[in-house]
Amino acid sequence: MKALFSFVLPIFFLSAFAVSAVAAKKPFPYPIEQYKMANGLNVVTVKFDSPGIASFFLIVRTGSRNEVEEGVTGFAHFFEHMMFRGTEKYDKDKYNEALKAIGASANANTSLDRTIYHMTGNALKLEKMFELESDRFENLHYPIHDFKTEAGAVKGEYTKNIASPFAQLEENIANTAFDNHTYKHTTMGFLKDIIDMPNQYEYSLKFFNRFYRPEYTTLLVVGDVTAKEVNHLADKYFGSWKKGNYQADIPVEPEQKETRYTHLQNGSIPPFVSLNFKGPGFSTKTMDSPALDILTTILFSDNSKLNQKLVINEQKVRSLNGGLYDTRDPYLISIDASLVNKKDMQYVKDEIMKALEEVKTNGVDEKILAETKSRLKYSFAMGIDNPSSIANILSHIIELTGDPEDINRSYENYDKVTVDDIKMVAKKYFVQNHLTIGTISADAEGGVK
Amino acid sequence: MKTLILGILFFGSLLAQEVVELNLPNTNKVIIKLMFKNGSVCDPAGKEGLTYLTSALLTQGGTGDLSYTDIQNKIYPWAAGYSSSVDKEVSIFTFEVHQDFLKDFYPLLKGLMLHPSFSQSDFDRVKRNQQNYVDQVIRASSDEEYSKKVLEYYLFSGTKYQHMVQGKSESVKSITLEDVKEQYKNYFTRNNLMIGIAGNYSKEFLATLKKDMHELPATKPNLPTLTEPQMPKGINVEIIQKDNAFGSAIFAGFPMNLTRKDDDFAALMVANSFLGEHRKSYGQLYQKLRETRSMNYGDYSYIEWFDNGGRNMLQPAGTPRSLNYFSLWIRPVQIAKQLKNQYKELENISIGHAHFALRLALMEIDNLIKDGMSQKDFDATKTFLRSYIKLYVQTPSSRLGYLMDSKFYGKKDYVNEMDKLLAKVTLADVNKAIKKYWQIDNMDIAIITDKSEAEPLAKNLKENLVSPMSYSNMVKAGLPKSVLNEDDAAAAFHLNVREVNIINSEDTFK
Repeated sequence: MKALFSFVLPIFFLSAFAVSAVAAKKPFPYPIEQYKMANGLNVVTVKFDSPGIASFFLIVRTGSRNEVEEGVTGFAHFFEHMMFRGTEKYDKDKYNEALKAIGASANANTSLDRTIYHMTGNALKLEKMFELESDRFENLHYPIHDFKTEAGAVKGEYTKNIASPFAQLEENIANTAFDNHTYKHTTMGFLKDIIDMPNQYEYSLKFFNRFYRPEYTTLLVVGDVTAKEVNHLADKYFGSWKKGNYQADIPVEPEQKETRYTHLQNGSIPPFVSLNFKGPGFSTKTMDSPALDILTTILFSDNSKLNQKLVINEQKVRSLNGGLYDTRDPYLISIDASLVNKKDMQYVKDEIMKALEEVKTNGVDEKILAETKSRLKYSFAMGIDNPSSIANILSHIIELTGDPEDINRSYENYDKVTVDDIKMVAKKYFVQNHLTIGTISADAEGGVK
Repeated sequence: MKTLILGILFFGSLLAQEVVELNLPNTNKVIIKLMFKNGSVCDPAGKEGLTYLTSALLTQGGTGDLSYTDIQNKIYPWAAGYSSSVDKEVSIFTFEVHQDFLKDFYPLLKGLMLHPSFSQSDFDRVKRNQQNYVDQVIRASSDEEYSKKVLEYYLFSGTKYQHMVQGKSESVKSITLEDVKEQYKNYFTRNNLMIGIAGNYSKEFLATLKKDMHELPATKPNLPTLTEPQMPKGINVEIIQKDNAFGSAIFAGFPMNLTRKDDDFAALMVANSFLGEHRKSYGQLYQKLRETRSMNYGDYSYIEWFDNGGRNMLQPAGTPRSLNYFSLWIRPVQIAKQLKNQYKELENISIGHAHFALRLALMEIDNLIKDGMSQKDFDATKTFLRSYIKLYVQTPSSRLGYLMDSKFYGKKDYVNEMDKLLAKVTLADVNKAIKKYWQIDNMDIAIITDKSEAEPLAKNLKENLVSPMSYSNMVKAGLPKSVLNEDDAAAAFHLNVREVNIINSEDTFK
């Protein structure tokens, strides 16, 4: 399972430590208390034993997926920057001053399907967090000059990211794999649109009006708090927020009919092969996502047969990873290999395809299936030891389905996956015509068929 | 009383390891950290990167009877994990396992530390990746991280801190499996070990761990004496040029004889947070360069090493150091080639924003040295820090890491002790510390940039030519007079540049 955060480290499942010793019936061991306000804002509270500390998250289910109009790719992310440019009550200097006084770790990030604003800090300052956040969510107001200036910071962010050949390849893969869907561009957007951002002030007002609305947003508080006080503060500070009525018409991606290729000529890093199959959108109602998560864990973990052959024994591959991106609409299942020698690129691709074909015919061993379920379960249990990890994990599921309880459903689904489910998803998704091959090497062409 | 003293001595001589405990009975997991006081300063000359390779091989190889894959197969269903990290003066091995599997997991830990198999095949694989890191990855993946490593290379020239912990192209090439075995025997010993443990573990378990770790090599490690780096004379700029760089990535710094062990650290922490708190929009540098002028993604300052600043938001544990420096991180700014393409009104510029950004940042520091902080800024920053530093230790793992680092600096609990110092610090202390430790006339600066930018930038810097900020018309039109006036002052701000060198990227870390 891959969580796709374009500008932050994927944190889902990566953090470490323990849960309470209480044996819980549900995979997520803490009660999730939800309160749906009349204006559509969903308020979620998880009480957690972290004396004096709380995480306050606002998840807006708007990301680069919602950028449906020509010329405004990257706008969801740009808008995230604008949210720090102040209101009439708190101009940007006063906002900074107030934020500093809270002493919290606060920031925001954007990806394909959502934008998250987060603060972790002193639970006694909870009301101030509510006041500051509700003010900018309801009353954002920035001068046109600030808007034009902030566009330069976004270009600066692009400039730092694109120094990496992997960021360049990622941009090319999305652009090659998709024709119509907005997943064609990365969250950062196309450079030409980034350069044009300062001219889009009017559009930015429209964007705020469309998406920064309660029905797009979930308010999540985790830590040393009670649902009663959180709900009370939500009523007080977000009660007057007006519901909107806009729905983006996200283009549907037609079926891919042929293998596609994109190559980056760059000899400054080791040769690289990336196989990208079209995958399913995330759902807890079918077995596609859980079966693919389990299958890719089996195939690409450190102890997998492929890793053992290519990395440990033959030493032709430096590292091998693979997984399904969790996204609202169908996106990609990516398998990446960093190689020792470019002459092995075709061989490595063929070996990976062979392993996938093998699963289609023979499935996987029951023992490894059971061990993988155990691994996913313990990995999850060990990752939820502090308010911000918990809030990040819940934000991810909220981004995908809107319902935090789906965290339990998705882990319960892992337990239900059978060998037949695995064969089914292997046949359904690892299809040559749905593949986009990205390569990096010193040569002018990728040369992988 | 007598017996007790004897008892302590006896215990002390039998099991000399320092132990840091963090018993958390409500958690289900156990974290063990083994910190060896060695680090890259223990690399022999010509074998730079050896400590790193030794640590990596310990965690990416097998033990006496189990191959690396056997171990991975065993721990797979437990989702247990372990890894190593190496800095200048320590190597740390971290093991994490759910309580349900501690008993099964422990023999693996013991085997990895006490009976590493050191097989040729594992060695070849691990070394190849390290070679690749020093040959390619550091130069190609992140210009920001690259500029930071280049800065250290020049700043610590002639000292044990100079080389990257991963080593250099030629030195890694020369490392043999025999070297690794020797390094393990000499520097991963029971005599330079600190044991850390957090979570839900028993006294008996800890006693076993201590007893077993006493079986590590008995050698007395010969730790090198560290010499303070020389203060650079004037400003020395190293411009690293590469093909197709999109911007100029900048790190600057000068040695500073102050670490966490000193009480003055609290005062300077306040000043630094005000000037350039890591990844925060409140810092003066961020405000001037990014917020007002949109020159880049962010600008920060540091009074100690901050590991992987592009990824970590809060200061991570695990890199305690006794040599220190002040540094300035200016994230990539635009180069002339890009600006010319993007804005017609800039088609005649000869350099991008690097020179101006440096001048503006150093002018800001200079103003702070001259004027000091105001009472209002001091109060706000102190209040912020007293709350913020507590976020460094949100997880059991980070709490344990910080407690172990505390010992390195002769402290018991750095975060709590720092809070007490911060409570006492006054504005006068802070302004005194700024004058005592900071200056702008002597420093090393590393700039990673495009080939098209290197020559004109070098000339501009060397000759102290004016470097007016080149805004697009769109942004310039809305700037207040006060900003434009400050721009004029920054554009001509005198930098004490003594030397500027241009180096090809291929020639770094040879």
